[in-house]
Amino acid sequence: MRRRFRGSDVFSTPSTSMSYVGTPVLVEEEIENDYYLLAKAYFDSREYRRAAHVLRDQTGKKAMFLRGYALYLAGEKRKEEEMIELEGPFGKGTTINCELGGLEQELCMHRKKGSIDPFGLYLYGVVLRDRGCDDLARAVLVESVNGYPWNWNAWSELQSLCTSIDILNNVNVNIKNHWMKDFFFASAYLELKIYGEALKKYELLQGNFSLSDYVQAQIATAQYSLSEFDEAHAIFDDLLKNDPYRVDTMDVYSNVLYAKESCSALSCLAHRVISTDKYRPESCCIIGNYYSLKGLHEKAVIYFRRALRLNRKYLSAWTLMGHEYVEMKNPAAAVDAYRRAVDINVRDYRAWYGLGQTYELMAMPFYALYYYRKSAYLQPTDARMWVALAQCYESGQLNMLDEAIKCYKRAANYNEREGIALSKLAELHDKLGRRDQAAMYYKLDLERMDEEQREGPNVIRALSFLAEHCQSQNKHEEAQIYCTRLLDYTATEKETARNIMGMKTSQSGFPSMEVDQFMP
Amino acid sequence: MDTIWRPATSFTLTPHKISVCALIQLYATPSPDTVPFPFSSVSQHNCFAIFLISLIKATDDFVEQSLERLIMQLKAVTGELDMFIAHRLTERLSSLSSADELFNFFAGLQVVFGSNETTNLEDEQISLDTNSILGMFVRRCTLTFNVLSFEGACHLLTNIAAYCDQFSSCSDLSHYYSPIRRTFSVFVVNDSKKEAELLDPEKLRLANYVPDHDPHRLEAGSSAGLLTGTQDCSSFFRIREVQRVPTQAQVPVKPKISSLEDKIEDRMLCQPNEVGTNDTAGHLVLRTNWQVQGFLKEKADLFENKKAFFRLHEFENMLKLLEKLAPELHRVHYLRHLNSLYHEDYINSLDNLRRYFDYSAGLEGIDTSSSSFASNPRDGKYETALLCLGILHCHFGHFNLAMQALTEAVQICHKNSDDFGLACTLAAICDLLSNIGVSSMNGILGSSYCSAIPASLDASLSTQRHLLVLLKQSLERAESLKNARLIAFNRLALAKFDLEQIKRPLLSFGPNASTRLRTCPISVCEELRISPYLLSEFGSDAASLPTDGSFCTSWLKKLEKSGSSSILLDEVGSGCNDDSLSSATEPSVLPNCILQLCGASYLARAASWELYGSSALVRLNALVHAICFADCSSSSDSSLAYVKLVQYLATYKGYQDAFTALSLVEKRFPPLSHLHIQLLRLQLLHEHFIHRGCIKRAQQVCDELGVLVSSASGVDMDLKAEVNLRHARTLLAAKQFDQAASVAHSLFCMCYEFNMQIKVASALLLMAEIHKKAENACTGLPYALASLTYCQSFNLDLLGASATLTLADLWLCLGSVHAKRALSLLHQVLPMILGHGGLELRARANISIAKCYLADSTFSVVEDPNSVLDPLNHATEELEILQYHELATEAFYLTALIYNALGKFEEREAAATSFKKHMLALENPGDQEDSFL
Repeated sequence: MRRRFRGSDVFSTPSTSMSYVGTPVLVEEEIENDYYLLAKAYFDSREYRRAAHVLRDQTGKKAMFLRGYALYLAGEKRKEEEMIELEGPFGKGTTINCELGGLEQELCMHRKKGSIDPFGLYLYGVVLRDRGCDDLARAVLVESVNGYPWNWNAWSELQSLCTSIDILNNVNVNIKNHWMKDFFFASAYLELKIYGEALKKYELLQGNFSLSDYVQAQIATAQYSLSEFDEAHAIFDDLLKNDPYRVDTMDVYSNVLYAKESCSALSCLAHRVISTDKYRPESCCIIGNYYSLKGLHEKAVIYFRRALRLNRKYLSAWTLMGHEYVEMKNPAAAVDAYRRAVDINVRDYRAWYGLGQTYELMAMPFYALYYYRKSAYLQPTDARMWVALAQCYESGQLNMLDEAIKCYKRAANYNEREGIALSKLAELHDKLGRRDQAAMYYKLDLERMDEEQREGPNVIRALSFLAEHCQSQNKHEEAQIYCTRLLDYTATEKETARNIMGMKTSQSGFPSMEVDQFMP
Repeated sequence: MDTIWRPATSFTLTPHKISVCALIQLYATPSPDTVPFPFSSVSQHNCFAIFLISLIKATDDFVEQSLERLIMQLKAVTGELDMFIAHRLTERLSSLSSADELFNFFAGLQVVFGSNETTNLEDEQISLDTNSILGMFVRRCTLTFNVLSFEGACHLLTNIAAYCDQFSSCSDLSHYYSPIRRTFSVFVVNDSKKEAELLDPEKLRLANYVPDHDPHRLEAGSSAGLLTGTQDCSSFFRIREVQRVPTQAQVPVKPKISSLEDKIEDRMLCQPNEVGTNDTAGHLVLRTNWQVQGFLKEKADLFENKKAFFRLHEFENMLKLLEKLAPELHRVHYLRHLNSLYHEDYINSLDNLRRYFDYSAGLEGIDTSSSSFASNPRDGKYETALLCLGILHCHFGHFNLAMQALTEAVQICHKNSDDFGLACTLAAICDLLSNIGVSSMNGILGSSYCSAIPASLDASLSTQRHLLVLLKQSLERAESLKNARLIAFNRLALAKFDLEQIKRPLLSFGPNASTRLRTCPISVCEELRISPYLLSEFGSDAASLPTDGSFCTSWLKKLEKSGSSSILLDEVGSGCNDDSLSSATEPSVLPNCILQLCGASYLARAASWELYGSSALVRLNALVHAICFADCSSSSDSSLAYVKLVQYLATYKGYQDAFTALSLVEKRFPPLSHLHIQLLRLQLLHEHFIHRGCIKRAQQVCDELGVLVSSASGVDMDLKAEVNLRHARTLLAAKQFDQAASVAHSLFCMCYEFNMQIKVASALLLMAEIHKKAENACTGLPYALASLTYCQSFNLDLLGASATLTLADLWLCLGSVHAKRALSLLHQVLPMILGHGGLELRARANISIAKCYLADSTFSVVEDPNSVLDPLNHATEELEILQYHELATEAFYLTALIYNALGKFEEREAAATSFKKHMLALENPGDQEDSFL
């Protein structure tokens, strides 16, 4: 990869209007000697300690990196093993990678001497992160990506350390303006839930990398996060045509299909990934989604659990498992699952929302408020959060109608799709005796329903209220319009309309017979 | 991975448990003698057994103790045998260097049970009962070893190596035990690196950290005792152990000075906390489940008693470590919640409370043995979450939110038919209603969301009536549950209610309805007496928790305190405690919560006697609380008892004694975290300044008191009333009668509005005083009479006596014709005043008596000088102690006049000199400095 880029300057900087720095040219490495090749062979066959041992006296930068990386991986492997071996009554005690201390010392020394290449720096950054020195780790990783921008792993480690927009902005100052930086920022924005920005960056990148599956998948993920399911669906479909054995980000695709309730497509996807790689957390998650959509919640839980066994920090699996437990009427387990998701990523608004929902289901609206507030704080432009909060306030136990109205207003401002907010606003204002405001919201609600060509009890309620209200305000013509519409409905509504119009006719002195002439 | 909470029952083998097994083997080796070989007497042998049981059960820490500490304890228990036993122990441990030897060790352990054939033949032979505590422990260890995987055995061996290595590196003890170094040299590597590492500032920084989890530091502070030095040593070496550069790295690292410097530089950028906790957990081993839970429970109790001794970060570090070792132990979040709560960190406190209940559904750690816990465990006990949330909001002064949480808790309890939870929640609501100011409650009770209040009561009823109905309901529930703790709590609350409120029938119409409005001291007494009596029945109650863990803990602590001397010699007379303020170490058979309620009943008694007017009984009850319940009561309760005692001193012995006592009390209860103490100081200062005529300073103090009223925890109406009362008094002392009267008037209105009847009586009395001073006797009389009526209906005898005294003064002001009437009034209340009144009241009464006699035209000084001189002399003595200059001048003036009339010029001159002295002091209040302030 590196060689390819180094050979041709044409690839080094993509042609855009943006001014990027030139790609740093690396000094020619020492010739790979036999020791190195032997170690690499051991490394490839996953005999890490053996590989490290072979390189014990090698001083080249490449050898040094390989030895360090092999040691790190050996330590990680032992750590994972120990974690299972040491499971006590209170869960798995946190085991540590015993190589970290030695590696840190050694890499630190090399860094000070300047005898370290960007790959070594990457390793140093990883070690520092594991040791909990986040600031230094960031600085080292920035050095690494500045030295060699194509090491995506270094970028991802750096991204995992940028947990807030402030940190990201601080890091931004030190990174050279290479085009890889755009990939990094796009990805970081996506992670930090700044979807609009992420989408913009990716669309820009797509101009240069029009054939990149990765960029396409990221765009689809962003679209999904913005609840643009149709767009996301189309992109993922395309992606699968080009790359039928892909498993990465397919869990997001399954979420899209779940949201669109396309059962058969989801089953096809599940079939496809399971034949590609059964033991990937994504695969398990997709199957879990499928079972969930089919209403087989026990089975879904089994697959989500498997996904979590493969990756304990797999955020969406915890949240989805929480949903399944809610369906299975096991609130304690649901709460636990959601809480784990929240503790892995405190910005996961879905899990906060799930917590609120579970407590609300347990008839604890006051307790649920806290969680809904958290979710609304994290996702302030999402009308669903505000509706949930409002419903809590509105519940019989709390009966805090003014607060509920405030929340519904917010929801209505953020284009609430299901139309709950407007009708609720109208209803609540009516309940509190503010008839003018109620009429305003009923009108808005009616307009919306007309636009969407909806029919149902809400339309009738709005029409009856508006007819009555206009009548009482002496807006007879308007009242007439609503009454006429009411006449299209069933007997009770006709009766209401007739009553209102009867009142009107008696008030205006017309003979009441006139109404009957219009009757169908 | 498990998403639902599961009981943690498994038992893991640790090096410390192996040590205990080895010691048990030593204890119960079959031998032909009465006691096995190293022990010389039966008592020594028994003491060793108690020590072993304590090691198994103690809850003084959550990590297994080090070998070094064990050997120190051995030394204290066995005296001269320690060398031998410790040697045997280390020898045994050092022989365990392979999995096979472990196997042999456990096989050999079976000897302690004796064989079935021999037990009934040889009667004297020592053998363990398989069902005894020690027997069960050995069986459990053996069973655990038998199901241990090979990897588990390997880890155990590594841990044993670390355990011994830690010890052998401690130079001052290692001369005992040479075998260790020899055997474990296999495991101990890279010794040369240690020295370099010790220079590393990062590792030195850890030294701050490890001792923190040491429970001794978190307690009374002084108990570290003899072990301090050695423990520091051990923790230091623990760090060395943990921080060792990994052995398998096989990197020829030769740290040079420059690289170390670089490292320091790099480390400056790191976050210190994270470094601290990342690696230290390495070789620490967690204790058994019940020990850890017991430890956490003890800590939670300690929070209430001695919160001042918890430092936020120290405790937090300990919890962090515990969380590392046991990520599934959710109780940690609860403790963290308590820690934040007591350090007034609202956000963390709320967050951790919710985290705890989210993870554990309220089923972990909290006592769920009550009968009500029959519902499906899948449902969780979220009502407890709401109850805790209510208490949290209450603590931070969010009474609306607290009420909402508690209301929801009531609903959930109903839904889950959790009677116990319901009774607790009702009790909490009662507590909330009775403790916070009445004013804050009015808004809450009227609002629509407070549906905890039964629907039968409409919102128009006063808070007090709501409270009474709730209290009765709550008591009924507690009685039907037969839960002594709750019954006692409710009875106490009822007593408190009876004390402060007039009882009137809830529904009163018609001519036959009783209209007598009185408080009833008898019912108060009855409630107070019944409540602690009930507690003796706690044995049948769910609250009875096993206390042997804390017994063992305190036994071990005592052992460590006794230090090097053998406990056998020390046992006689070790009970005495030189620090009278520090708590006794012997744990009680009764659970703490029971004792706490018991103690609270004594405080309530003190409060009731304070109102009814018996100072001696106030003092007695406060003393009982301070002496008998210091250990178990919450720090706010015990500080209150001391406040009462200091107040007694101020009233009866003068300010000098009171301030000396106060400074002692302040040492124990830092005023910053104890509002009572802060208040007390200000109250004493205010009175003192008023008496000495330093009006400006008195007003300053009064203003400071006013600041306390607007505290974060809502406005305390009682305190607000008191501030107004003191403000009016200051104005009165400054002779600004108009202003004083208007303040007193607004005070009266406020008290009347919020139904604070006792304060109404004081406000009326104050009005009477103001009018008396302003020489409006006619206007003053009705106020004094009204006050007297209030006092009578509330049985406020002492306040009534003081009102009568004012009444008598007012009559006297109306002219000498009323002197006889005034005197007879005074004679009525004299027994009360002389028996229970403070220095000031007595002096005032004495002066009034003298004035009555002098005003009486039928009385002749020459014939009966003692009738006036005696009271005046008493008064002057009392006023000198109080340094009450204004009254003192009056008394000396009268004395001088009388001596003049009697022709005793020497005495007259003496009285006149004293008069002059007090007059000067009164005119120049700034001149005198108090040595005791």
